Amino acid sequence: MGLFDRVFAGADDMLAKAEQDLSAAIDELGIDAPMVMPDTGYFLACIYAYTGRKVAKLSDLKEAFDDVKALCTREQKTEDIFKNGIATAIAAEIIEAVKYAKSPNPYEDSIYHGHFSDAEVRELGVPLVTQEIPGFVVIIGAAKSDDEAFELIKGYQSRGIFVFLIGDIIDQAQRKNISMGFAVRVVPTGKDIWSVGHIISLVVRAAMIFGAVQPGDWDAVNEYTFKRIFAFVNAFAPVDDITVACGGGAIAMGFPVITNDENNMWRVPKSLIIQPDTSDFIETSLEARDIKIKVTNIDIPVAFSNAFEGEIIRKKDTHVDIDGSRLDCFELVRTKQAHEIEDHSIILEGPDIDEIEPGSKMCAGFIVEVAGKNMQSDFEPVFERRFHNFVNCAEGVMHTGQRDLIRIRVSLSAFEAGFRLKHIGEILYAKVKSEYESVIDKCQVRIYTDPAKCKELRAEANEVYDARDARLMALTDESVDQFYTCILCQSFSPSHVCIVTPERLGLCGAVSWLDAKATFELDPNGPSQIVTKNSLIDERLGAYEDVNEAVSKYSHGALEKVTLYSIMEDPMTSCGCFECICGIEPFSNGVVIVNREHTGMTPLGMTFSEMASMTGGGVQTPGFMGHGKHFIASKKFMRAEGGPARIVWMPKALKEIVHDKLNATAKDLYGIDDFCSMIGDETVTEDAEALLEHLGTVGHPVLEMEPLL
Amino acid sequence: MKDENCFTTVEQMEADSAKLYELSKASGAQTWEDRNKNQTPHCKFGEEGVCCRICSMGPCRITPKAPRGICGADADAIAGRNYLRMVAGGCSAHSDHGREICHTLYAAKADGYYKVTDTVKLINLAKEWDIETEGRDIYDIAHDVALCGLNEYGKPFGTQKFLKRATEERQKTWEEQGISPRAVDREITTAMHMTHMGNTADAEALVRQSLRTGMADGWGGSMMGTEFTDILFGTPSVRETEGGLGVIEEDMVNIIVHGHDPAMSEMIVQASEHKDLLDLARSYGAKGINIAGLCCTANEVAMRHGVKMAGNFLQQENAILTGCVELIAVDVQCIFPALGPLSECFHTKFITTSEIARIPGAIHIKMEKENALEQGRQIVKMAVENFANRDKNKIFIPKTKEKAVVGYSCESILKQLDTVTNSHLDERNTYKPLIDCVTSGVLRGAVAIVGCNNPKVRPDYSHIEIMKKLIKNDIIIVASGCSAQAAAKAGLLSKEAKNLCGAGLKRVCELADIPPVLHMGSCVDISRMMLLATGIAKDWGVDITKVPVVGCAPEWMSEKAVSIANYVVSTGIDTYLGIEPQVKGSAKMMQLITQGTREITGAGYIINKDPHELVQAMIDGIEAKRAALGI
Repeated sequence: MGLFDRVFAGADDMLAKAEQDLSAAIDELGIDAPMVMPDTGYFLACIYAYTGRKVAKLSDLKEAFDDVKALCTREQKTEDIFKNGIATAIAAEIIEAVKYAKSPNPYEDSIYHGHFSDAEVRELGVPLVTQEIPGFVVIIGAAKSDDEAFELIKGYQSRGIFVFLIGDIIDQAQRKNISMGFAVRVVPTGKDIWSVGHIISLVVRAAMIFGAVQPGDWDAVNEYTFKRIFAFVNAFAPVDDITVACGGGAIAMGFPVITNDENNMWRVPKSLIIQPDTSDFIETSLEARDIKIKVTNIDIPVAFSNAFEGEIIRKKDTHVDIDGSRLDCFELVRTKQAHEIEDHSIILEGPDIDEIEPGSKMCAGFIVEVAGKNMQSDFEPVFERRFHNFVNCAEGVMHTGQRDLIRIRVSLSAFEAGFRLKHIGEILYAKVKSEYESVIDKCQVRIYTDPAKCKELRAEANEVYDARDARLMALTDESVDQFYTCILCQSFSPSHVCIVTPERLGLCGAVSWLDAKATFELDPNGPSQIVTKNSLIDERLGAYEDVNEAVSKYSHGALEKVTLYSIMEDPMTSCGCFECICGIEPFSNGVVIVNREHTGMTPLGMTFSEMASMTGGGVQTPGFMGHGKHFIASKKFMRAEGGPARIVWMPKALKEIVHDKLNATAKDLYGIDDFCSMIGDETVTEDAEALLEHLGTVGHPVLEMEPLL
Repeated sequence: MKDENCFTTVEQMEADSAKLYELSKASGAQTWEDRNKNQTPHCKFGEEGVCCRICSMGPCRITPKAPRGICGADADAIAGRNYLRMVAGGCSAHSDHGREICHTLYAAKADGYYKVTDTVKLINLAKEWDIETEGRDIYDIAHDVALCGLNEYGKPFGTQKFLKRATEERQKTWEEQGISPRAVDREITTAMHMTHMGNTADAEALVRQSLRTGMADGWGGSMMGTEFTDILFGTPSVRETEGGLGVIEEDMVNIIVHGHDPAMSEMIVQASEHKDLLDLARSYGAKGINIAGLCCTANEVAMRHGVKMAGNFLQQENAILTGCVELIAVDVQCIFPALGPLSECFHTKFITTSEIARIPGAIHIKMEKENALEQGRQIVKMAVENFANRDKNKIFIPKTKEKAVVGYSCESILKQLDTVTNSHLDERNTYKPLIDCVTSGVLRGAVAIVGCNNPKVRPDYSHIEIMKKLIKNDIIIVASGCSAQAAAKAGLLSKEAKNLCGAGLKRVCELADIPPVLHMGSCVDISRMMLLATGIAKDWGVDITKVPVVGCAPEWMSEKAVSIANYVVSTGIDTYLGIEPQVKGSAKMMQLITQGTREITGAGYIINKDPHELVQAMIDGIEAKRAALGI
């Protein structure tokens, strides 16, 4: 049987299973039963992306199934293979979706992840853009041995590749005690091959969210995934027809399949690759998908990869807890003269972590001293804020917080592997030096653990922080001569441009004006370019000729104008990786803001996912705008419409994050005390009418403001 | 994204031509369309190949009432002899072109105008021919290689050296069937001798000699022409250019180079970059000097310098009709004598440069190798000085042009294929990635589309219709000659043409970063296609006749094309013709060229004047070959 016939046979198998499961569900729940996937604004994303059909009920799913059947044409042409392959993926989505029709969380009691929420998809945006995640692998089947499975998964993980597991390899990973989960970027997706539907759903949502691909535009979906999603498949022998058919879908989307099955298999360059030597799977695969891994060699006894960034170290697994909330801890970058620094010197003053009782707390201060001709003190906080990402990448090391509120935990296993404080120094040295090589010529790290010394230095550090804050406070949109673009996301969202100003950081929350400035200095041809502000059009809106020119130039003509301070008139677009989405609430004339982490309902009758799907991909949607958390307390937050006083509802957790600053802004702007207490949240109500009532009761200023519409 | 509707159509090209003709009537210009009307209907006896003019007893014409000529030659003998004489004419044209290039290499010197550019290719060829290379001056090697090449044309014993490049199986077939060509001149002479009054009257023997004479071209003269041109001017590499009459620039001095042998045009291209001549052009108010090509000279300079391609065979007059061509310089083959009177209707200077092609109405500047660049400068200067003589009332440049990527020599194709290999698994420098695409079914096969334009069918329409249908069906195309230019004009040589392809070929184009139609060069470069097919068969490990690769000449007209068709069939590749060879008056000859050769070489002609039926026959033929291979 030829390759094409295997795909056809596999598609038939998957469709038969989907049809069977679907009719069983209809028999059980009735044809009008709701069919909703949790935490997504994209319905059944594969069906939505490929056919444009919005599935909400089982009857819709039944109709969608007929679309899928129609895709299974049988000419001996690649076109037919691609169509059958995608049909197989959609059938897989149907099989999995039916489980969610029966239960809101069918994988609750299992290790399997199942469906990915929109928030998870969006969370991937920034690391994909920055290439912290250089690609995705979907591993299907069982490796020849548990050890080989371990090597493969760890190999990918250490290269930053996001790993999805399907089938028996999950059991192998469990037997080898591999920590799994979305946060550590090794996801046990599901037991059966049809769990691949969840992965395809995630991928097509990325196309719709970041690429503004229109639902139903088949070619655009595949074009986006081929050009911009660096995924690939490793399928272990024996590969059955149904997996071959899924492979057809993967290849249609541009994802090569690498297998060790030589039986009844065909080589297709860069698409279907037979690699009998499974120990060479990783390098063969990366080359097949043109993924180049940026390697930083760091001399530490544990693995170092972005994949470990989300790793959580529990108390019982902790060797040492460097706890800034209880003890004197801090981290700091300082600019020095070149002669004051011995490059790559790591100096520890005080006891190391092998001199303490396992499981105890200790204090520590980290000072990274840098020198370079092009170094500016404004870059210090930019580098310093990255310590969190850097240190976190070490396996068995967890870092949270910043400045003097840090917390670092080193796990028992990392300690046993030989991890000591000097290794944190090694990490900081290597990362700071490599990431900022154009401005840093020399770098050394000082680590202090003596309590008295820590106390003394922490006080000094605080003076530095205060001075920086004063400088930041002084930085307003009016006080600087230029803004910056940020088009880091264009590899994903080709028509979006951020304009970053001192009072409006990038919508992903990761790029402040100082960051953008540093990015420009570090790479003058890079993603951040200067935007002058010479020709103001409208101060209230924050409209500038210069900004419009920049937006038009860097969006390649997709956008003509944006305003900096309005949500109604030419609001700034978003790539899709925004931290928060804000949308107008028509009853109160205010706006509702939701952060990505909030999965619940809002008074708009929409979840974050649903609101987020209104915008993104560089599309301008007046009344909806993506933004960073810290923009909320900015005096420029929708200034054109009256400013933060428009905020009528936020999730409680978000309110807590912005509480102090927002109150201070409100006090400054409107003379209102404790403005945050006037803002509704989910503990007050999720209903628009009840919210209006609440606003009246608390005397929210929005009620006195001009109508928004 | 450039979609299907954004590519230049034949209708647009025809509308451009119609506008040009309409405007040109005021200038008193006449074109092939006028003359074609005057010549129609064509002589039926000539068309069917049954008019014998070989001796002065005749002409004799075969009819049912007069089935034999005066000497007794029947339709089979007469059609067979005429056919073989066409092959001999074609073979001599290609081979004399090839020989001229041999002479150019022989004259090459380190401080001369003609130099060795591709030394690797020279040394490889020297080694292939057992010529000592160790420690020798490159020009000493070049002279020995040139001499050895020249010897291939007239050597008293043995067969063509390049035959050894073929697969074992082909060599065996040729030997067994007695069609291994001896010296090139010998085969042409034998062909002329056999067809002389009173010699061969057996159609099969005439067809066999046609195959052998064709072989002397494809595996002899043409192949040497290609190899030696590469050594002299560089093996073509991938580069971008444009195709269509729109490449003529109104505000520049336009020089058209036309013909086949690039020795002259290379010098003109060089001279056009000289600062003093550019300054001179500016002093006349021109923005610069624009060189554009016609026919195979265009193909040669496009794939080595990115020179733009103004058009193919039946567009040669159109270029002059734009009123913006200061000078047209020609070398050999496919040059209308009509260019003489036509250029007189405009300010255009018409320059002939070869003793092979002397034409009334032209200024003749005989190219001399030792003087070549000065002559190139002289020609460019004439053009520049002619800029001021343009008649503003006679100017019309059609806007149509398309982007094109050209220069896919076998070497370039291999290099491109290397980009899709995986260093952990695959050998480099093989055709295996292409073979994998074909065996898996992603690509169904490959077609080599070649040949001219012919007013007997709608010009360019057959080329373009056939190409579009093939690429839609995941069949990759290599093209050369006027066919490649038709593809260029229609945008099919652009990478965006992937949007016209089936899903399989589209993906291959994206991954390998190629257009779906690969420009392999001029008509002598069809020898490259023979090496490509040979390379594929060798890497695949099957006989060339089994590989799902076919040849096609939808609009052929010249004797060269008949010669080409003979060596393609001899190489074991089925050849689909859109114009009937002039042998229809002999059922035996028709049987021999479509079926009889299959017994000899394993391949034959498939003839159909309807391009849609012809392309379907090709697709069916390719699928049949796949089925036979079990893929």
